[in-house]
Amino acid sequence: MLALNLLINGLVTGCALGVVAVSFQLAYSTTRIFHVAHAGIYTLAGYLAFSMVERGLPDPFAIIIAALICAALGALIQYALYATLERRRASHLSVLIASLGVLAVIQNVISAFYSPNIIPFTSAWRGQMMSLGLTEVQVATLIVCLAVFAAALLFARLTPLGKRIRAVASNPFLAEITRLRPQQTYIIVMAIASAMVAIPGALVAMDLGLQPYNGTTVLLTATIAVIAGGIGSLTGAFALAVLITVLQNLSLLAISGEWSVGITFFIFLIFMLFRPTGLFAQR
Amino acid sequence: MSATTYLTISGVNKRFGGLQALRDCSFSIGPGKIICLVGPNGAGKTTVFNAITGFLKADSGEVSFKEHRLTGKRPQAIVRLGVARTFQNLRLFTDLTALDNVVSALPDQFGEEPIGATFRPFRTSRAQKALRDRAAAILSDVELSARSDDFVRNLSYGEQKLLSIGRVLATGAELLLLDEPTSGLSGDALESVMALLRRLREQGRSQLVVEHNTRVVQQIADEVLFLHQGHVMAQGHPQTIIADPALAEIYFGGAL
Amino acid sequence: MDFLFSYLTLVAIFIILSLSTNLLVGIVGIFSVSQAAIFGLGAYIVGYCLVNDVMSFLPALAVAALASLVLNVLITLPSLRVSGDYFVVTSFGIQLLATAAFTNLTEITGGASGMPGIPPAEFFGLSFDSGFKNFLLAAIAATIASLWFALLMRAPFGRLLRAIREDELAVAAFGKNVLFAKVRAAAIAGVMAGAAGGLYAVYLSFIDPTTFDLNASVLLLTMVVLGGARTLAGSIVGPLVLLALPQLLTFIDIPTTTAAAVRQGIYGLLLILFMVFRPQGLVGEKL
Repeated sequence: MLALNLLINGLVTGCALGVVAVSFQLAYSTTRIFHVAHAGIYTLAGYLAFSMVERGLPDPFAIIIAALICAALGALIQYALYATLERRRASHLSVLIASLGVLAVIQNVISAFYSPNIIPFTSAWRGQMMSLGLTEVQVATLIVCLAVFAAALLFARLTPLGKRIRAVASNPFLAEITRLRPQQTYIIVMAIASAMVAIPGALVAMDLGLQPYNGTTVLLTATIAVIAGGIGSLTGAFALAVLITVLQNLSLLAISGEWSVGITFFIFLIFMLFRPTGLFAQR
Repeated sequence: MSATTYLTISGVNKRFGGLQALRDCSFSIGPGKIICLVGPNGAGKTTVFNAITGFLKADSGEVSFKEHRLTGKRPQAIVRLGVARTFQNLRLFTDLTALDNVVSALPDQFGEEPIGATFRPFRTSRAQKALRDRAAAILSDVELSARSDDFVRNLSYGEQKLLSIGRVLATGAELLLLDEPTSGLSGDALESVMALLRRLREQGRSQLVVEHNTRVVQQIADEVLFLHQGHVMAQGHPQTIIADPALAEIYFGGAL
Repeated sequence: MDFLFSYLTLVAIFIILSLSTNLLVGIVGIFSVSQAAIFGLGAYIVGYCLVNDVMSFLPALAVAALASLVLNVLITLPSLRVSGDYFVVTSFGIQLLATAAFTNLTEITGGASGMPGIPPAEFFGLSFDSGFKNFLLAAIAATIASLWFALLMRAPFGRLLRAIREDELAVAAFGKNVLFAKVRAAAIAGVMAGAAGGLYAVYLSFIDPTTFDLNASVLLLTMVVLGGARTLAGSIVGPLVLLALPQLLTFIDIPTTTAAAVRQGIYGLLLILFMVFRPQGLVGEKL
């Protein structure tokens, strides 16, 4: 039954990772910036929710407010940093390095302000077992993350804003000259993506505790899901995220947990060698 | 071997999304001539260059140069086989002087890989001296000797165009694909480039030249290829092509 | 005085690392956060060989340099053929994998508690067992690395790399093999980083995984960014300034639990500030 347990846990964490992947996908395919600082926002959300729950706020509100703060931070990073660099015609490499700088700042401010060590997150939802051996928080994660994914799909396909984002994503140059105002779109997209990633950030923290530096590994796995699923495919990213997480979990039957990064990475290398465009690529 | 197997393109197709850029494109040219590739905007002239020189992978068709098959090869391999191109937007190395731009295109340089550069520094600098002399000779062929130590940003547009031809000469390629070498030029600068192309022809360098200026075409072309919607519609003597009213219709929407 | 030698020895070692990172990131233009992994590989190989008496210092250093060369080439090779952003993922992955390996292959590396008791370097009958002698060794190595870097950059190889940075397609159009040039640069960067690792191991006589983690890679990037990309001077100024930073911070009252985080946070802040306000660093060229 261990395998089944691992499978179900994998599905739960996979859906959380799926939202991380979709949110990254959204930002990347629109702004073309490999926003590594996204990992920092993911991590920050957990700590923000923690602080609010400590002050007596109910969990759902803590998550929502954390998401809003993260949205603002994401928008700020785009507006104050990325847009400035683009105006200065900075090289792609410079933007990557700046993003890495933001990640380092966020992670280390958290570490200095709270603690460099793991902090357990005692939310009201923890430790209450439900069927299938899942805690309440895990069930919440599963449902909420699937819902967020569905919402993202609908948003991208149906709403005018979603269509505008897709237009800007597919041709930023054309968008610039037809007054679709890509810069404004970028800020909106970054806000949405940051709010999105805050949700699994907070939920997973409620399940597993808080740690300043593990966002990097999470983002790495999520970006592999995005690339393997095909840049441009939200469904591909989500599906691959779930698949990778389940496989990582099942691999625990054979090898120890510290090597799970290796499994993910190995899968990535296979894709890089044989199918760089991913499984569901649209372009 | 007949002259027409010099450069042969047959049945080349290339589609970009909804646009068929090259459509069953076929032609052959012989050696030692200047052949102008003309056609209205969007006809696919630069695309032909990209397909021949390996910057684009054609969907189908074959390209061959003398006894070599060029299809599917990478640009660097194709240059070594003797076919090199210039770019419409020049793409000169702006941080370097005119001389260094030419030097950078010379093939087989000792010291271009680190082992030689590390363990034989003296041979490297001797080789560099020889290369610089060769580059200086090329610069004098294109009449830019006076500007050899000037940085690219300080050269006039006409001089930059001459330099880009100098650079492609440095590769040692037998067949030069020149993408709009005279565009944006007039008067003396234009005459210089035309004179250069003629001189190169005397020296035995074949040239396939994308050209919009009909006066230039009349003055330098031995043969003209008319390209329209990715397909070669006509090939022949410049006078014949230019005088053809149907082609003029396509090119201008009226008579020349 | 011993303290000064300690600082200068570290500076010398990090000059070599800085040159390596400069070559990869500044000159070829690859975003690399896995330099510390290569540094660690070199350190662990030399450490292991000396502690277990497998071979003496110079051969161990050669093996470390070779292994680092191979690893760096393997990492960069697939990504050089596909788009640049894929390399970001590869680089992070390698770095995290390396940290996992250093921490978990306890039999070989000593695991999280590290590898103690690495004997000093010995060759040609000399034993580099004092602070001053280690400084000398590191300084000589740094000088050799700097001269090598300068030599390569002045040679056609250096010019080719600069041209590739400016316009890769044009370089290919003139018959040069761009892929080979980039791989060669990655190989050299690997050799330098691995050798620096070996020097570090014999200098400190104790190594552990936390020295070679993602934070260390960020520090290396910060050195190149602050000192300045693509110049020899930048690779010297970067380590000089950034290795003095921890000492300067001791004048401010920071609790020890947060000292590391404050340092790392400052590196991040420096990266941002320099990219926005001074991308050429103090004495370099624009990244």
